[in-house]
Amino acid sequence: MRRNNLFRSIIVGIVIIWSLAQLYPTMKVSQLQKEAKTYTEQLQALSNLDADEIQAGLNAGDLPARLEDAIQDDTKLTEAYALAEKAALLHDGIVKLENDAIKQGLDLLGGTYLVYEVNLPQLVLNVAKKRDSRLDSLLAKIELESGASESDYFNTFSQAFNDAGIRMSLYFGQRIQKDEEIVDKLKEQAADAVNRTLEVLRNRVDQFGVSEPSITKQGDNRIIIELAGIKDVQRAKEIIGKTALLEFKLVKDPDVNMAILQDIDKALKKKLSRSDAVAELTATNDSTATRPSKRKDTEVSVESLFGEGTTIGDESEGDSTILVDEQLAKDSPFLALLTSFPGSRNSIGLPAKNLQAVKRIVNSPEVLKIIPANAQVHFSNEPQVFEEQEYYEMYFLKKEAEITGKYLEEADVSIASGAQSFNQGQPQVNLKFNSEGARIFAVATGANVNKQLAIVLDGKVASAPNISGKIPGGSAQIEGSFTMEEAKDLAIVLRAGALPAPIHVIEERTVGPSLGQDSVNAGQLSLGIGIALVILFMIVYYKLSGLIADVALILNLVLILAALAFFHATLTLPGIAGIILTMGMAVDANVLIFERIREELATGKTVRAAIDAGYDRAFWTIFDANITTFLTALVLYQFGTGPIRGFAVTLSIGILASMFTAIVVTHLIYDTINGKRSLSKLSI
Amino acid sequence: MQFIKKTNIDFLAKRKIALIISGFLILAGFVTMIAKGGPDYSIDFLGGTEIHVRFNSEIKINKIRDALNQVGYGTAEIKNFGNERDVLIRVEKQQESSEVSDAILSTLTTEFPQNTPTLLSVDAVGPKIGSELRTQSILAVFFALLLILIYVWLRFEFVFGIGAIVALFHDVLFTLGVFSVLGLEISLSVLAAFFTIVGYSLNDTIVVFDRIRENLKSRRRDDFFTVINVSINQSLSRTVITSLTTFVVVLVLYTNGGEVLHNFSFALLVGVVVGTYSSVFIATPVVAEWGYRQAQAAAKSARKSRK
Repeated sequence: MRRNNLFRSIIVGIVIIWSLAQLYPTMKVSQLQKEAKTYTEQLQALSNLDADEIQAGLNAGDLPARLEDAIQDDTKLTEAYALAEKAALLHDGIVKLENDAIKQGLDLLGGTYLVYEVNLPQLVLNVAKKRDSRLDSLLAKIELESGASESDYFNTFSQAFNDAGIRMSLYFGQRIQKDEEIVDKLKEQAADAVNRTLEVLRNRVDQFGVSEPSITKQGDNRIIIELAGIKDVQRAKEIIGKTALLEFKLVKDPDVNMAILQDIDKALKKKLSRSDAVAELTATNDSTATRPSKRKDTEVSVESLFGEGTTIGDESEGDSTILVDEQLAKDSPFLALLTSFPGSRNSIGLPAKNLQAVKRIVNSPEVLKIIPANAQVHFSNEPQVFEEQEYYEMYFLKKEAEITGKYLEEADVSIASGAQSFNQGQPQVNLKFNSEGARIFAVATGANVNKQLAIVLDGKVASAPNISGKIPGGSAQIEGSFTMEEAKDLAIVLRAGALPAPIHVIEERTVGPSLGQDSVNAGQLSLGIGIALVILFMIVYYKLSGLIADVALILNLVLILAALAFFHATLTLPGIAGIILTMGMAVDANVLIFERIREELATGKTVRAAIDAGYDRAFWTIFDANITTFLTALVLYQFGTGPIRGFAVTLSIGILASMFTAIVVTHLIYDTINGKRSLSKLSI
Repeated sequence: MQFIKKTNIDFLAKRKIALIISGFLILAGFVTMIAKGGPDYSIDFLGGTEIHVRFNSEIKINKIRDALNQVGYGTAEIKNFGNERDVLIRVEKQQESSEVSDAILSTLTTEFPQNTPTLLSVDAVGPKIGSELRTQSILAVFFALLLILIYVWLRFEFVFGIGAIVALFHDVLFTLGVFSVLGLEISLSVLAAFFTIVGYSLNDTIVVFDRIRENLKSRRRDDFFTVINVSINQSLSRTVITSLTTFVVVLVLYTNGGEVLHNFSFALLVGVVVGTYSSVFIATPVVAEWGYRQAQAAAKSARKSRK
């Protein structure tokens, strides 16, 4: 049989050249990274910046500015500038090549993989026209019964409303609308909200200085965020997950407050007199007075006030032990939980211990009825310490916000100054509205001089300053007791905008940098030993033919890596395991062929005839055997995520590559050796 | 060099013994699984939080438990892995699983200022995701087996497809049984290993089938059982060598691949052995039995029609 050796040589040559070209960026990047590391080390020695800060400076392009802040000595600074310039050049080179290099997975680099789910129930609640206990329980039921996807949710939603015999238009849309129309509209709003969430998260994640953060939508209402090499995952999660809904709301006048409080009190008293809870209230008399007060305090369980079933809101495992004045508790059960609080005109204080109890009371259906339709209860975001006790503040705020974070143009951090400021020397977040926002803000402040304007962040009051006069410039400050880092993070999320609905993490996979490095080392070591053993075995067992198979094996490895680079696939630890496994299995094709050749030789055929027969007969066996493995790898790819996918990828690429190298390449080598003069004996 | 010279072993004669051994081992696995109420699923399928940390120096598990008790996670499973400094903390199903890891990590950092732990990894899976993964896995296994059945059916005959599928079930059930007996967890990566076992075992089986198909054509005079025995003997050398090289690399992976790949490579290790065994002792006998009966039935009806 005369095969065209030249043609096959050219094809194999092209494949080899293509592979090396694909691998060039990867090799170059790792070389450049080594060089870059020495610059970073030198810069670290000159300044007191750590490696992360230097990297962040290179990413953002403001390394010289950072160095200027960090280095006082002029000669050192000049030296550092020179180094920084070289490092920046190198950094540019790495960035350019990085895209074409083999990417490492989070499990090798270290980093985090987060799956967020947009809270559909909350979103639906947000667009509801009114909220009552019937809607609450219905939504709770829907949430429990629905599956993972958005369509699941809305199917269950329609079903539940139908079953309960409630018309959706009671709570959503316009009165004349049919249920189907309302569901369609809600679906549209949900899809829109998820897309907006994606945008906002993209903006937030861009602030981390992580190279190539990845944010993708999965299904209808899930978002996957991958941050490679991030160090402080906890902080990242805080920034990503904050809803950051900023609202400016007017605080109700004191007389309104008092009226509402007294009404709540009356309602509670009525309820208590009906039950035997009053007896319980007075019976559990415990004189451990923790408040610096002469009154006698009683520890009481909130369950006796409302029973266990009425828990509303997110904090289910609240503190059930509360402070009450015994005498007051009988006369006015609600006011007894509160306390007058110095400092603010319109807010009502409550001991930190009572927060859960008060929240439960104000969220109970009886009390929700009492609170006027245009008012809402909010609490301060952090407790204040007064006479060694922690206190929260409760506010009655106007329901409609005067202005929201939607009009925000800029948010940054500064240190509060000015003698009148409570928080002098503390970090504060400066807000700047855009022109439209500034106009709205000016009108709102102008019309409400001498009233209190609460700055509400995610439903909690950050501060409630007094409006001393019209504010025309569109700027405001959020003061509070945050650290510099908290203030900076707040500015980041405010700049990026609010999320249309709350999101929460449903899956997290974080790998620390040290484990990542361990895995890289373990993977490299296993790969090295594994290949060495296989190569050695083949030479010992099949001699020259084994050597030929080994050449194919090495080429196979090169091909797999090249294909990874070409497809921009990610190399993970299971991926490396897949390569190692392929190395073990790849020789199978050659084993099959060699065993066949041996058989053919045993029947007395010539070397050339035996070789050709061996290849011909083994081909379909190899094909069938490999295709079935390939099929399982495909299914695995389809269903797996992250690292597992990496395994499926390398395994399937490995199978295809091994078929090429084991069949085409080795046969070509045989034919070349055997070409000029026929061998009389084959080393096999 | 040649390990296996020309052999002439009657493999099919040993099919009953093989059946008893396999049946017994799989049954043992089943019994332990039933006793435990199912396989030991990892948090991937159950939902929950798993945290791996490395302390600077050795630490007593009790001290960690005391510290975690303060934040309400005293009931967590806490154990060393690999060495005395590396600790695994596992909390069962929680609604807000990501907050669990935050709370535990900050507690450990503040409680052990002299011996602060470094974070190795966090895996937090919400209960919803866990049950989704379970459903997906079952679907994936189903589709993989279906694809294989169809392919083998198309390329060979239906009987061969059945033989291959029976062998695959055997391999997966056997490995599952080994995991159950040893109390090892079934995680996503172990599941991936199962898929690989399926692929590998099939590879091995196909090679033998291929030889049978070829010999059925060339040795028309020999009876069915002889053809099958000859085929197994002819491919025996290849079966042993390939299994050996694969076993060696998986062993390297098991000993050097690190903690992350431990269960994964262990499953592969078991799988390579059992996959090789099943292609000779399970898949082929199934084809022999079934094919023999089919042939007899065909001969009978042929005789009938002649009369």
